[in-house]
Amino acid sequence: MKRNIQVLLLLFTGVGLLHISLLTDLYLRYVRPGLRPALIASGVLLIVLGAVSAARDGFPFNRPRTDHDHGHDGHQDGGHQGHGHDHSQGPRIAWLLYVPALTILFLAPPALGSYTAARDEAKAKAPTAGDSLFPALPRNGIVEMSLNDFSSRAVWDTDGTLRGHTVRLTGFVTPGHHGTWYVSRLAISCCAADATVRKVRVHGATAPPADAWVTVTGTWHPTGKVGTDDASPALDATAVKRVPAPKDPYNDAVPTRPGR
Amino acid sequence: MDSDVDVASPLPESPAHDRTPSATRPDGGGGLRAAARVTSHALIAGLPVAVLGVAAIVLGPEISAGLDNRAVAAWRTVFTAIVIQGVPFLLLGTVVSAAISAFVPAWVFTRVLPRNPALAVPVAGVAGAVLPGCECASVPVAGSLMRRGVTPAAALAFLLSAPAINPIVLMATYVAFPGNPWMVTARLVASLLTSVVMGWLWIRLGREEWLRTPEGPTGHTAGASRAEEFRVSLQHDFLHAGGFLVVGAAAAATFNVAVPHFVLRLFSDSPWLSLPMLGLLAVVLAVCSEADAFVAASLTGFSPSARLAFMVVGPMVDLKLIALQSGTFGRAFALRFSSATWVVAVLCSALVGWWLL
Repeated sequence: MKRNIQVLLLLFTGVGLLHISLLTDLYLRYVRPGLRPALIASGVLLIVLGAVSAARDGFPFNRPRTDHDHGHDGHQDGGHQGHGHDHSQGPRIAWLLYVPALTILFLAPPALGSYTAARDEAKAKAPTAGDSLFPALPRNGIVEMSLNDFSSRAVWDTDGTLRGHTVRLTGFVTPGHHGTWYVSRLAISCCAADATVRKVRVHGATAPPADAWVTVTGTWHPTGKVGTDDASPALDATAVKRVPAPKDPYNDAVPTRPGR
Repeated sequence: MDSDVDVASPLPESPAHDRTPSATRPDGGGGLRAAARVTSHALIAGLPVAVLGVAAIVLGPEISAGLDNRAVAAWRTVFTAIVIQGVPFLLLGTVVSAAISAFVPAWVFTRVLPRNPALAVPVAGVAGAVLPGCECASVPVAGSLMRRGVTPAAALAFLLSAPAINPIVLMATYVAFPGNPWMVTARLVASLLTSVVMGWLWIRLGREEWLRTPEGPTGHTAGASRAEEFRVSLQHDFLHAGGFLVVGAAAAATFNVAVPHFVLRLFSDSPWLSLPMLGLLAVVLAVCSEADAFVAASLTGFSPSARLAFMVVGPMVDLKLIALQSGTFGRAFALRFSSATWVVAVLCSALVGWWLL
């Protein structure tokens, strides 16, 4: 890889990282929010490195090298041995970095959605032990809950704290078999490669289009014997409302809104 | 991804431009002139970004339609995610390794590490605790240690232990397994054990010809500016390792999208099969070592030892690491070393899990 192409690649990668982390919130589609400072720092560092390299090596045209550049110049187009590990030029394998660099700049892929959610079974998180794991829900009005909380209670809460409450869940639509559907979420701990599925089957409402974000209001629909693996989370819906997609699609937490 | 490459092809800087050498610019000049030069170069470099931007906006809808297949979209997202979360750590690793190459004199390592390789291995293994980061960072650092004359066995022990036993990873493990601090201890012990055993194995059985000693800028040579050496080796190492990170991310994303996870649950009943199964899962999923504890915690239904194996194997052997290692040390090395490490890691997890969990 010629040195001017390397400069360009460094700048593209740096600008791409800043584009998704500093200028927009696109990075939330791929990684956890806590990685933002690291992404911004990396973007700045790459742009500085690219700018310095542009000044030192010449850009857009390569500057002829002097003697003590000890062979880092590229005249011969070597790199015939496999992975382009040839130091007379930059590594040829680095061309591949253009793919993600340009992807995040111009064609950022969407957040994971119903395709991923439909492929895996949701496993409700089992409580470790103890009595106060499922505190009683507020008595008045509609209770906003995370899918995680609802699923855990629906599967493992033998005290039945969900009984008699109207709850509201937010997530995207994942179609199931034979016209069934789920309100679902994906949760990540580091990046989208480790997404885990949370989904709650919705009864009594026709399915909105796949991947649409909805809030579902309804009451618990008991399925299977609670406290065993047979139980699965489900809801009898009374209202389904389309909502805009959240900024951080992987954050399955109750929105902090005053009131209600 | 093809269309992305198509976008890349009409770059204004085709290699042909290289054949017309521009006049040598004088090297001197004050900081102001240098700053002006950097700015003007940055502006020139911004031009292709603008051109490609316009092209992408005009052609965007067609390209997006072509990529609309849901499996393809999921693949692209996972691929991009692995690369993005890897880049900061890779950059950290290459900054450290470039700093070692350019600024740390070789005698430091010979002074710190015991001369006897068999003793140097455990010391280097424990020293892995000081590099905060995930496995992407440790490969370039281990490469630069070897370049500076550290015995390969010790550098390899460091390579294996660094991503597994640093404080950030152990903290994440503690958070992921609330009420089970033994898991943290078990992970520390099993990871350290594996890396030391692998270092000693390399002393006994390793052959020089398998290992391609990392080339590249070798330390400080008289007459060259240290800052310039730092820049050259940083740029080279980052671009080189970044290319292999892309290869590894593509492989991991393919497995991630192609293999449904519930297939693995079929094996959760058998304690003997579940250990190697989760060991294999760690290889193909290529989860960052700072996150794998959370994934392990979510694998309910598996025995604690099997989850331990997932966390011990993950930072040492996975698809993106194999790609990174074959880039730095050669393919002959990466395949032998990774498979041996996998076996040792699974055995150590079984042993430590039986003892502590």
